[in-house]
Amino acid sequence: MGINPESRARFNLQRASILILDQNPMGMSILVQILTGFGAKTIHRCETVAEAEATVQKNEIDLMVVDSLGPGGAGYKFVHWLRRSKIQPNCFAPVLIIAGHTPQRAVAMARDCGAHFILAKPLTPIAVLERVLWISKEGRRFVECSTYVGPDRRFKNEGVPAGMEGRRRDDLPAEVGEATMPNMEQDVIDSMLKTRKVQL
Amino acid sequence: MTGVVTFHVPENKLAKLIKTPGGKPVVEAVADAQQGLMGLQDDCLADLGQMLVEAEGAAARAGAAFDAELVEQLYGRVSAAIGVPTACGMEPVDTALISLSDLLDNLQERSVWDPEPVAVHLRAIRLMLNVEAARQGAGAQGLLDGLRQVSQRFAANDAQAD
Repeated sequence: MGINPESRARFNLQRASILILDQNPMGMSILVQILTGFGAKTIHRCETVAEAEATVQKNEIDLMVVDSLGPGGAGYKFVHWLRRSKIQPNCFAPVLIIAGHTPQRAVAMARDCGAHFILAKPLTPIAVLERVLWISKEGRRFVECSTYVGPDRRFKNEGVPAGMEGRRRDDLPAEVGEATMPNMEQDVIDSMLKTRKVQL
Repeated sequence: MTGVVTFHVPENKLAKLIKTPGGKPVVEAVADAQQGLMGLQDDCLADLGQMLVEAEGAAARAGAAFDAELVEQLYGRVSAAIGVPTACGMEPVDTALISLSDLLDNLQERSVWDPEPVAVHLRAIRLMLNVEAARQGAGAQGLLDGLRQVSQRFAANDAQAD
């Protein structure tokens, strides 16, 4: 995922509308400086969940950077609310959660709130940029069910955990079974790989 | 997951915006962001100084017994400051704040209070804030290793109790 900090590759955040939720003024200033440095012009600064909810209802947001907001995890609860809010298109907006300290009990909340990615502080400009660009490229599908609404958490697709049976129809078994069909003829394989003209 | 599960591929507007002509090269954007952070240096130092005064005050108010409200307040204040030191070029102070947050979280989980390791962390953070040599090289590493050992002792005790 690493980006070379010396890269001359260009990206454009000038027209992106970004929401920052952080109750800590210094935390807010750090994020604003980083995103302004990246060229962002429209930044909605929200210090409370209520302000963030009001902003989401009135403005179209392209990216949200949400602090976990202390031990109670109000930031996670905001994302949980956002995903179920039906406020389109904001309910599908990319959300980057940032957290100062992530004790064990907060990990499940962070995983299940519906964020695209969680980034632990301290933040550096290159780490934030890497995550923003990664989120923008991946285009993950959204899952909606009674217990979770948000981007598909199984984006790595490393298969079903060892010793467990998959719960999805398209989960493949760990053991490769006997062939159920005859092998393809070499001619058929060759014809599939043969270069052909495209008819437009 | 139970019940009906639906999948939806929303429009990726951020990707389209990022690809529009103009913008900045990565190298320039990172440099501009870094420069912006440097402009916050005085504010960061003031914020860290204020956090330390508040944390020391809270630790001094603590009695011998565990006070859930006070430890929560202390944890909230210390963990909220994580990230501020790195923004002003003091990465080791962030490591110390994370160690102290781990310690306070472990104390909270076990509902116990021990003033000594908390005081050790606060003294180390004050030293690193005031003395440049204490946040550089082997000196800083030794200090941080010591703090990590103190903090992990409570985590290890926790694991043994389980």
